[in-house]
Amino acid sequence: MPSIAELVPEHIRAFEAYTPSRPDPDLMRQYGVDHLHRLNNNENALGPPPNARAVIEAFESRRSAIYPSGDCYTLRTALSERFGKDPERFLVGNGSCEVIASVIKAFCEKGDNIITADKTFAVYEWVAEFSGFEARLIPLNNWAFDPDAMLAAMDSRTKILFVCNPNNPTGTWWDRDVMERFLRGVAGRAIVVIDEAYCEYVDDERFPDGMELMERHKNVVVFRTFSKMYALAGLRVGYVCGQKEVVDYIRRTHIVYSVNSMGQPAAAAALKDDAGHIAATRLMVAEAKALLLPAFDELGLKYVSNAGNFVMVETPVSDSLIYRHLMRRGIMVRTMTGFRFPNWIRVSMVQLPVMQEFLQALREVLGIVAGTRT
Amino acid sequence: MPASTLSQHAPPQLVLELPPETAFLPSAAAAAENAAQVFGLDSGGALRLALAVEEFFAYLCRHAGREEPIRLTLSQGGTFTRADFRFRAGEVSLRALNFAASVDLEAGEDLELGLLVAARTTDRCGLTRSGPDVFHLHAEVDRVYPEAEAITTPQRLSPPLRLEPAPTAGTLQHAALLAAGRYPARLRPHSFTRPARFADMVACGQYQALLALDTADRPAGLLCWRASGRRAVVFSGPYVFDPQLAQDTARLLTEGFLARVARTEVLCAFSERPTADLPQGWFESLGNLTLRGAEGSESVEQPAFFRHLREDAGAAVWAHPDLFPFLRREYDRLAFSRDLLAAEPTPPARLPEHSLLATSLDRLRSLAILRPLLDGRDIEASLKAHVEAIHEQGTSDILLHLDLSEPWQGALFPALSACGFVPRLVLPHAGASDMLVCQHAVHS
Ligand SMILES: Cc1ncc(COP(=O)(O)O)c(C=O)c1O
Repeated sequence: MPSIAELVPEHIRAFEAYTPSRPDPDLMRQYGVDHLHRLNNNENALGPPPNARAVIEAFESRRSAIYPSGDCYTLRTALSERFGKDPERFLVGNGSCEVIASVIKAFCEKGDNIITADKTFAVYEWVAEFSGFEARLIPLNNWAFDPDAMLAAMDSRTKILFVCNPNNPTGTWWDRDVMERFLRGVAGRAIVVIDEAYCEYVDDERFPDGMELMERHKNVVVFRTFSKMYALAGLRVGYVCGQKEVVDYIRRTHIVYSVNSMGQPAAAAALKDDAGHIAATRLMVAEAKALLLPAFDELGLKYVSNAGNFVMVETPVSDSLIYRHLMRRGIMVRTMTGFRFPNWIRVSMVQLPVMQEFLQALREVLGIVAGTRT
Repeated sequence: MPASTLSQHAPPQLVLELPPETAFLPSAAAAAENAAQVFGLDSGGALRLALAVEEFFAYLCRHAGREEPIRLTLSQGGTFTRADFRFRAGEVSLRALNFAASVDLEAGEDLELGLLVAARTTDRCGLTRSGPDVFHLHAEVDRVYPEAEAITTPQRLSPPLRLEPAPTAGTLQHAALLAAGRYPARLRPHSFTRPARFADMVACGQYQALLALDTADRPAGLLCWRASGRRAVVFSGPYVFDPQLAQDTARLLTEGFLARVARTEVLCAFSERPTADLPQGWFESLGNLTLRGAEGSESVEQPAFFRHLREDAGAAVWAHPDLFPFLRREYDRLAFSRDLLAAEPTPPARLPEHSLLATSLDRLRSLAILRPLLDGRDIEASLKAHVEAIHEQGTSDILLHLDLSEPWQGALFPALSACGFVPRLVLPHAGASDMLVCQHAVHS
């Protein structure tokens, strides 16, 4: 009788499952702290916008017994109104992570490849690899996606190029000109996914709007999420938008009923009154950076701070060691070794009191490790 | 099929199912000799493997369970041929599987010296357990490669350097000889002075290697690593060839190495042969081991470095309370959050009579590693017998690994201590949880 492992294809056996962090109460007990500030997932600490909050609070428990809309009908209508596009051009998933898998399934077959950066959000690479497709990873250039190198890596089996704009974790983004040039270079030979998970954090004329690009470049597909700016990460809602034909193909591989009954109306409501919420969030991020960046300078720490509600900081010792010391002080950051930035941490920008607490803890930890450096 | 095409396919192997009858001894030995030659050993090497297989098989005919055949797998490991016996322990006493089963307990019965004889004719051998009563006994014999002269001429290289993730065999051999010219033997894999062997090891995945090149594509540095279990890698290096560029080269290689292992299933990187060029601040020091090495060499302090590639969620470990002071000190120093759970030895009445220890021998490094597989009333006596047998056999350094996820292993400490083992290092996440490395105290 074969062992279970022998039933598993090689690309799954070799694949590393993502290990989510343990629940807060567990971690707090283990690290001996009475509170934990999560600065590791780029969540929006302000919480959801008021309308979304009202929907969540009014959610009646008996609705849990009823299946959600299988294709997120109302939410797609809301997206359609917001962006002035046919509702059929939106496909909603259980977070944008789910739609990454759907796009890859729709366009790749054995022998195909996808292209993205080496130091970006890991899920594009992961999904491609555990599905058995090659992920061509192009080194960042000056912290940013490298359009020319990505074009040069294309061949006849390249089906999708993933551009994270702005990039997690460096916050860099391509402006309109760079994006246009890139899309002309691709010339419709492959699907271009523009992941705009953090686009609401950018306040700059030169930032290209994927929703507009897809009208001129039919191969462009945009990912957006309610997890970041809209603070609905726990409800898991993200979506893909593209030309109708493209979205039709993606829908064939996509699981219906994957988005829950509370998430759908909460997301729709979040779109309705987002201006004040976005302004308040941007202000919170700006204030956090105004506190932290000069402090990093003063501590002699190198950092990368561009768009988005996060900053990357270089640490004088292993990021996983800094992580353990910060956890002992109730602060959870993201280690960047897994993003191929060893000895860097990424910190989410939240309200000032927490940022001050983080800074104080970081100072202490740097003092400790300075004494024990190897 | 001509031998030259072998390496282009999945590693070739030959599998035999043998009833545990000594009448099949010649079949086992002939298969081993034949396979070893097909897989690239010379006739001397093939004979050594055949001899080990004969000894192992004779041994298993006496001691393995009889309910199913013994499976012998002969495989090519690139630079070595491996013979692996899979068998069930069955009703037979497991005690016989101890490397030192016969040494003092059944003195005079020289038939039982089979495993010791086998150990002498192989380059590496050992026992592992893969199920409640499924065990593997394996032996490896290395192919012979020609030795080459280390390159000692100073290198003047021109920056900026770049990484070559997939170096050719020729460049790897060149780099290995450059490293051999600049670093003492204990700081580099033995294969560096048999560079074709090193290149083959990389080609077949036994080692991974990352090379730094200068603007003229000349080797500027090397770092190599290999898997150690499913969740860890151990690395050697970094080796830098132009001292003027030491810092940049070492940093480039270290960063490249971590980038390569970061998104794999590997949890931790440990140093195997760290050089003084290892950049500051990238690894945590776990402590030192004092290794005496092969006869005639001087003992050295071998530092152990570590790097966790993930965020640590904490864990619980089992240990005898006598170990708590050592563990508390180490965990606190390393800032690891661990719950220490007290593991008391099982009352003798509830233990089986015989314990089982797995021994791995590495003759080149003169190193033996013991791992407890099963607890038993005779564990202390058995440990003593193992230490004696290993020393007699000419191996100087003895380590013992305890997996602290197993209460009974954590509880063994008083027995180890009575046999002269002292705790030296905690290896986070090196076992099912953390691993404690004990070393047989060096009395000189
Ligand atoms: C760039 C990027 N894309 C997508 C996601 C996934 O978001 P979700 O699945 O929560 O919609 C994230 C979250 O970390 C991200 O950083």
